[in-house]
Amino acid sequence: MDYLEFAKDVVSRAVERGVEAEAYISVGQNTSVNVDRGEVEKLSQAGSKGLGVRVIRDGKMGYAYTSDFEASSVEKTVEAAVSLADVADGDEYRSLPAPQPLPEDDLEVYDQAIVDLPIGRKVEMARRIEKAALRFDERVVLTNRCTLMSQYGTVAVANSKGIAGSYDKSFIGGFVMAMAADENDRSVAFGFDFGSRLTDFKPTEVGKDAARKAVGMLGGRPVPTQRASVVYSPMAATSILGALSRSLGADAMQRNRSFLEGKIGETVAADLVTVLDNGRLPGGIATRPFDDEGVPTAATRLIDEGVLQTALHDHYTATRDGTASSTGNANRRGHASMPTLDASNFYFQPGQETPEEVIGGVEQGLYVESVMNTASINPISGDYSISAKGYWIENGELSHPVNEVTIALPMQELLHNVKSVGNDLTFVPMMGALGSPTIRVDGVMIGGSG
Amino acid sequence: MLPIESIRKVLDAGLTKGADLAEVYLENKESLSLTLDEGRLEKATQGNDIGGGVRVFYGNNAAYAYTDDLTEESLIEAAGVAAAAAENANNTQVCADLTKGESPVVSRIERPFEEMSTQEKAGVLRQMDEITRQHSPHIVSVQCGYTETRRRVWVYNSEGVWAEDDRAFIEFQGQVAAQKGEVRQSSATGVGGQVGLEFFDERDPVAMMPEAADTALLMLDARPAPAGEMPVVINNGWGGVLFHEACGHCMEADFITKGASAYTGLVGEKVGPDFLTAYDDGTIPGRRGTMRFDDEGAPTNRTVLIENGILKEYMWDLTEARRAGRASTGNGRRQTFRDMPMPRMTNTYIDAGPHDPEEIIGSVKKGLYAKKLGGGQVEIGRGDYVFTVTEGWLIEDGKLTAPVRGATLVGNGPETLRLIDMIGTDMALDPGRGMCGKGQWARVSVGQPTVRVPKLTVGGTE
Repeated sequence: MDYLEFAKDVVSRAVERGVEAEAYISVGQNTSVNVDRGEVEKLSQAGSKGLGVRVIRDGKMGYAYTSDFEASSVEKTVEAAVSLADVADGDEYRSLPAPQPLPEDDLEVYDQAIVDLPIGRKVEMARRIEKAALRFDERVVLTNRCTLMSQYGTVAVANSKGIAGSYDKSFIGGFVMAMAADENDRSVAFGFDFGSRLTDFKPTEVGKDAARKAVGMLGGRPVPTQRASVVYSPMAATSILGALSRSLGADAMQRNRSFLEGKIGETVAADLVTVLDNGRLPGGIATRPFDDEGVPTAATRLIDEGVLQTALHDHYTATRDGTASSTGNANRRGHASMPTLDASNFYFQPGQETPEEVIGGVEQGLYVESVMNTASINPISGDYSISAKGYWIENGELSHPVNEVTIALPMQELLHNVKSVGNDLTFVPMMGALGSPTIRVDGVMIGGSG
Repeated sequence: MLPIESIRKVLDAGLTKGADLAEVYLENKESLSLTLDEGRLEKATQGNDIGGGVRVFYGNNAAYAYTDDLTEESLIEAAGVAAAAAENANNTQVCADLTKGESPVVSRIERPFEEMSTQEKAGVLRQMDEITRQHSPHIVSVQCGYTETRRRVWVYNSEGVWAEDDRAFIEFQGQVAAQKGEVRQSSATGVGGQVGLEFFDERDPVAMMPEAADTALLMLDARPAPAGEMPVVINNGWGGVLFHEACGHCMEADFITKGASAYTGLVGEKVGPDFLTAYDDGTIPGRRGTMRFDDEGAPTNRTVLIENGILKEYMWDLTEARRAGRASTGNGRRQTFRDMPMPRMTNTYIDAGPHDPEEIIGSVKKGLYAKKLGGGQVEIGRGDYVFTVTEGWLIEDGKLTAPVRGATLVGNGPETLRLIDMIGTDMALDPGRGMCGKGQWARVSVGQPTVRVPKLTVGGTE
């Protein structure tokens, strides 16, 4: 089936009803393998498909979706979208984007090797993840949820303004939970790795990563409550970026739901801080030629040496702004969701120092390896208080493991308190893809014992 | 959905390569969601998700394949894909007679969603918006949403299981932001249930909005929360999310059978104070976690998890029950037909205890009262958890003296449970907005009376 032709056909059916229309089609193949003690515990594989139809009439928008591509079902879906638009309220800024030239750079987001990977190889990779974790150290007593996932598929977008495009995308990734135990304590940690290309994915690193973290945290204890310097691992630093990406969305700013509202052109962070969103990063997890409403993706410098430059935009927020253009950040979580504004590959620009040098600069402080409950960070108020695990830093070196502590500081201050930025930019597959090097933030409140 | 003869053929196809159990799961989900923002009905979405999957077991292992094309041919093809993984098995299982199961749990949809127009449903959102904006000039943003979902499931297996369930959900949610000068605060709220349109006779989504606005306004003037260890009193109702996260997940059988949970091997042991009893009950009418049968066709139960401080039972799905050679407790759930089931909680709560709620607060010299909790997270293996307090108060000399903002609670679930030293008489279930994430999303209910933990780490900024 030619999905782009199908999308165009759906658009023309909708247009007959006197509306602007857009069709989004996503078709994919998913495999997931779960291994326990070398045996395939769970294996799931299937293809799935979906169509989402968005229509706009007089600024009123309706959306309907289906996983059934039969003509009668498509007809019903178009009909539902049109009748929902009648119920919605009009908004003068609501329209569909017009076509723009697409750059022809190779984004490296589709790898035939992932598509061709036989199921036996996937099982073998899952086994390698588990083996690497169990062999890392004798204190690794078990693994759980040892999983390998692979996906590939096609996305097609067409609209009544003339946008018509499609692309293929692939993904492979794995994760595992390792549990370590000694006579006094037990600890667990997750490891993961992933890539758009088969060669980017290192199964043994997944296992080693989980095992190293779990073993390292044995004997962890809280430190006394105090204000201190905190060094974030790249993984932990993405807690800052997740909330920041939402605060930097033009929708949040236009609707008074961002602590950064009204601050464009102002210094909002230390001059070491540069924040980028790049939907065209070669091989990136969130990389694609155009966004989920068909607008070409782009590289956007949001904070440049501490100064807030611009917000993330989709077609709606750009139209409403009047002077901005879409930064290609319209995103959907599958065919059942209308496009919303989201970051793509969103990251802190790396600096010069090695991670060891960043840690070495701290006399006494906390090195945070992992964090929990980052969804609680509030992009409206900037309130930031999460739990952390890691190691105490003593004279520039990691000493004993630390757990059951919180780290807290309003985002407004946190961004200004960044004191060093490492050179080890690493991406985490969350909310698009967040990336950070090791960074140091001073004056963070650590909640612990006493 | 499909003729029972077709189901038999699919089950037979699943057994061909020597599997010892084959299962068919079919699902039809219809949903409508409306979002009102800045006073405009901005987003209206409607859709249908239909599909099915075939799972085959060979010993303790399982393979699954699914399709969004619900025809006999497609399902037989899926059965073939799943069965192929069982190739080395050498069972010669035959499919038992399928008998439609009965459940004492009533699936109650008195008035179907169609009896009210989309415009009327949007009208409720408009009222919610209006009342909030009129509440205070400091309210700068109001967002309200309505979602209705009808999820019908059919489960069959080669041991003769034939179970059908019809689950209807209504959910209203609201988010309010308030601002004074440079200070912004927000508050979220929600109400819902497993119910038809009779929801509107019993609950009032409009009434929850001024209360949410009050929390945001209160937090504008709140001082930063303290940091460090102190006594913490947790409010009843939604406060039960802490037990759900910090202890409930550690009692789900998948982590238990692996030996990966802090509660492994502790059935019969003391895990909390004598006056603590806790349940997981999938049978309570109208609650979000209620099911006639779970997503593997097992009837749901009222499972006693902890009785008088003694750990009694874990929560089992079919996979883990087979592994342990026992029966499922009806806790096998899946997000959609694209997902394999796993053990999940349903409606989980701590039962009423002996203490007067006012005395509990009165007993604290200096501590924190967590009036409203936000979301939380747990690391299931060890039980380390973290929670956000969205409305907190300082307790000084037994009285609530000042609101505080930005507080977080951290601790270890099993340890916190042992520490609990007061449980109120005021057990309540939450207002109906619980969504639990464990790789897959599941609607749940939580509940508890007012609870005191004498020493808990609070993560504030002071």
